[in-house]
Amino acid sequence: MELKEKIEKHLLEVQKPSRYIGGEVGSIIKDKSKVDVRFAFCFPDTYDIGMSHLGMKILYSLTNERENYWCERCYAPGEDFEAIMRENDIPLYALESLDPIKEFDFIGFTMQYELSYANVLNMLDLAGLPVFADERGDELMNIVVAGGPCVCNPEPLADFFDIFILGEGEEVNLELMDLYWEMKQKGCTKLEFLRAAAQIEGIYVPRFYSFEYNEDGTIKKMNVTDGAPEVVRKRIIKDLDSVYYPENFVVPFTEIVHDRVSVEVLRGCIRGCRFCQAGFIYRPFREKHTDTICKSTKCLCENTGYDEVSLASLSTSDHSEIDPMLTELIDYTAKERINLSLPSLRVDNFSESLLEKIKKVRKSGLTFAAEGGTQRLRDVINKNVNEEEIMNTCRISFAGGYTSVKLYFMMGLPTETDEDIVGIADLADRIIDLFYSIENRPKGRGVQISISVATFVPKPFTPFQFEPQDTKEMIEHKQKLLMDSVKSRKVKVSYHDPNVSRLEVILAKGDRRLCKAIYTAWKKGCKFDSWDEYFNFDKWMEAFDECGIDTSFYANRRFDYDEILPWDHLDYLVTKEFLIRENKTAHKAVTTPNCRLRCSGCGVNKKVGRECFC
Amino acid sequence: MLRVRAVFEKTGRAKYISHLDLNRCMLRTFRRSGLPIWYTEGFNPHPYYAFALALSLGFESKCEILDFNITDDNMSMNEIRDRLNAVMPEGMGILSVEEQKLKITAIAKAEYSFSMVTDEPEELMKDVEKLLSGESILIEKKTKKGIKTVDIKPDMEIIGCEKTDRSVDMIMRLPAGTQTNYNPTLFVEALKKSGAHPFEDEKFVRRAILCGDNTVFR
Repeated sequence: MELKEKIEKHLLEVQKPSRYIGGEVGSIIKDKSKVDVRFAFCFPDTYDIGMSHLGMKILYSLTNERENYWCERCYAPGEDFEAIMRENDIPLYALESLDPIKEFDFIGFTMQYELSYANVLNMLDLAGLPVFADERGDELMNIVVAGGPCVCNPEPLADFFDIFILGEGEEVNLELMDLYWEMKQKGCTKLEFLRAAAQIEGIYVPRFYSFEYNEDGTIKKMNVTDGAPEVVRKRIIKDLDSVYYPENFVVPFTEIVHDRVSVEVLRGCIRGCRFCQAGFIYRPFREKHTDTICKSTKCLCENTGYDEVSLASLSTSDHSEIDPMLTELIDYTAKERINLSLPSLRVDNFSESLLEKIKKVRKSGLTFAAEGGTQRLRDVINKNVNEEEIMNTCRISFAGGYTSVKLYFMMGLPTETDEDIVGIADLADRIIDLFYSIENRPKGRGVQISISVATFVPKPFTPFQFEPQDTKEMIEHKQKLLMDSVKSRKVKVSYHDPNVSRLEVILAKGDRRLCKAIYTAWKKGCKFDSWDEYFNFDKWMEAFDECGIDTSFYANRRFDYDEILPWDHLDYLVTKEFLIRENKTAHKAVTTPNCRLRCSGCGVNKKVGRECFC
Repeated sequence: MLRVRAVFEKTGRAKYISHLDLNRCMLRTFRRSGLPIWYTEGFNPHPYYAFALALSLGFESKCEILDFNITDDNMSMNEIRDRLNAVMPEGMGILSVEEQKLKITAIAKAEYSFSMVTDEPEELMKDVEKLLSGESILIEKKTKKGIKTVDIKPDMEIIGCEKTDRSVDMIMRLPAGTQTNYNPTLFVEALKKSGAHPFEDEKFVRRAILCGDNTVFR
C-alpha cells in the first residue's frame, strides 16, 4: 500500500486531519526526479505551532527558489495520530511529497525553545532513524541539522545532531546544501562531508569537539579534532533590504496560532535588557526600510488572502521610521479591510500619535512588560523604563478608552528582595489610583490590571548567564508574598509553573553530559513538554537522577566569570568581556543606555567591521 | 449587484477541510481572487457568502453550492469562475456560476453514495436487505435538546444498492436543507447496530442537492 493510502485510511479518526495531508495553497510541489537535494524542515511541535513560525516560512521559500533543491515541511503529530502511525507502520513523512523523511538528504530542526528537545528525539524515532548521530551510519545522507536560538548552546543536543547552524540561515543553508550536492556527486562519505562543512563559517559539527571536566564538575578543557575551528562564529545577513523575503506563505486550512501574514521589520535590538537572550544573540541591530516593509505586506496579503498582518520584530517601535511606516501601512490595510497587529511596542516611546494609530486597528487591551516591581530592580535588569513612563503610557491609554492593562513581571531576578516583590503590588495599586484620578476616563467600567509573573530563567549569551536561578523554596516564598500584598480585587495575578522554568534553565545552561538524560526522559515518555497537559516534571527529575546528574549544578549555581562555559567556543559576536562587564554593572544597579544613545562596546561592530549606527 | 450561485467541487485532499475551515478558506480565496465581493453593512462589515449545505468532514462532492454577491454588475459569470479557479486550493474548483434562482429553502434532499467494504459482500447484502425491509430504522440523533430517537426509514429513498466482489455500494436520498438533515452515516450506524457482518464504510460522496420534486437545486 502506498504511504498516502495508508495515511488516508486513518485520517478521519484523528483531530484536525487537514494538518497531516498537505495540499495547502502556497505549498510547493516539485518533480522529485528533477531534484538533487531534499530538505525536510521539521518543527519539533505540532502543525498549529510550527506553521506559525516565521523563520521556517522564510527558509522554506528561499530553498525552494533553487530549482534543484526541494524543501518540505514536517511537524510533530498529535498524540492520537502518533499512535496510529506507530500502530500502522506509517513513518514520519513530509507534507509536500508525503514521502518518508528518512529518504531525505537533510533533516533540519528549528530549535525555538528548550521544552521541544524531547520532541526531536521522538520525531527522529518516528521517522525510523536512530536518535544518536553516531548510529546513523557513514553514508552521505540523512544529515540531521538544527538552527534557531537554542543552538547558541546546543551542547545538551550534541549527541543527536550532525550539524548545528549558528545564526541567520539565509546564506549558510544554501552553502551547506551546495557543498553536500558537490560531495554527494563525488561519492564522499558523511565524515568527509562533515569535515568540509565544519570549514564554513556558522557551521558547528559537535562530533569534532570533546570536553574534559574538573572534579567539581566544571569544564576543564575542550579538545578539537578533524581540523575544525576552535571557535565557531554565527552568521548574519548584512543588508536586510536585499535579503530574500518570501512573496507567499503556505496558507493552512486549520486555524494555527499565528494565523496571519508576518512581515519582518528589523532584526536585533538596541535595548540590551540583561535577561533577554534575543536582545544579544540577534545583534547587530538592522532595519528594513519602510518601502521594503510595505511592499512585502502588500504582496503577501494579495498572494495569501489573509485579512490580518502583523509586524515581526523584537521591538517594533524602535524602528527609526516607525511613524511614516505605520501611516503608510494603515493607509493600505484600512483600504483593503485588513487588520494590522503591532506586538512588541515599548512603554517608553509610546507616543500619543502612535496610540492614535494603534487605536484605529486594535480594540483589545494593552500589554506592558515592566519585568521588575521597583526602579532599583528595573535598573539591575537594564529595563530602561521608569515608573513615570509606565504611568504616562497608562494615562494616555486610559484617556484613550482602554480599561484593562496587562503587566508582565519576572520573579527570581538577580539581587531581588522582598521589597521588589511587594513593589509589583504597589505598582498595580498606583495604576488603579491613576485610573480613577483621570477626568475623562472611560465611564461605566472599572479598571482591570492583570499581572502575569514568570520565573526568571538565566540564559547563555546574556549578562545574566552566570546567575543562578532561584530555588523552588525561594520562588514559593515570593509567590506567597505577592499574593498577600495584592489587596485589590481589580488586580488579577497569574503564575507560570516554576518547575517548567527549572527544566528550561537546566537545558539552556547544560553541557554535553545532559544528552543521555534527555534520551532517558524521552524513553520514559516525555514529549510536548511545553504543553501543560503533557509536562511531567517528575519523569524528567527521575531521568536526571538515573543519569547521575545534579540539576542544581546547572540551575542554582553561580557560574564563575573565568569558568569555561559549555558555549564559550561559540561566537555570537558579543564578547564574554562585555557580558562580564554588564553583569558587574547590573549588580551595582546601574543602567546601560540603549545602543542608539551610546555604543556599549559589546564587540559586535568590531567583528562585523562596521558601526551599528552611522 | 450580481447575486451569484456557484457550484463547486470538494474532492481529493480537500475532503479533509472541515466546514469551519472551509469558511476561512473561501474568505481567503475571495481575497486572493480580488473579486469585488459585497460586504455586509453592519457594525462590523464582512464579506457576505453562504454555503447552502454543510458537507461532513471526509465527504467528497461535485455539487456544493456557494452563494455570494458581486458589486460589479458588468462582470461576466465566466470571469468570476475563472478568477476563483485561479486561486482555489487543490481539490476545490468552481464548476459553474450562474445567477441565484431558487431560494435556499427550496432544498429538500441530498443524494449520497458510499461503499461498505467487507470480506463477505453477500452476507452484508442480506443484512442490508433485512434492515431495509423492516418496519423502521431507528437512529439516535443528537439535537440541541439532547439525544432523540428518530425513524429515518420513511424519509429515506434507496436509489441503488449493489454488491461488488469487495463491498456493498449504496446510493440513497435523505432529507436535507433548513428543516431536517440526515447524514448517511446514520444509516451505516444503524446497520452496524443491527448486528450486520463487519464492514468498513468509505468513499462517501454527495452526488446531488435536490428540491422536493427531485429536480436539481440551482
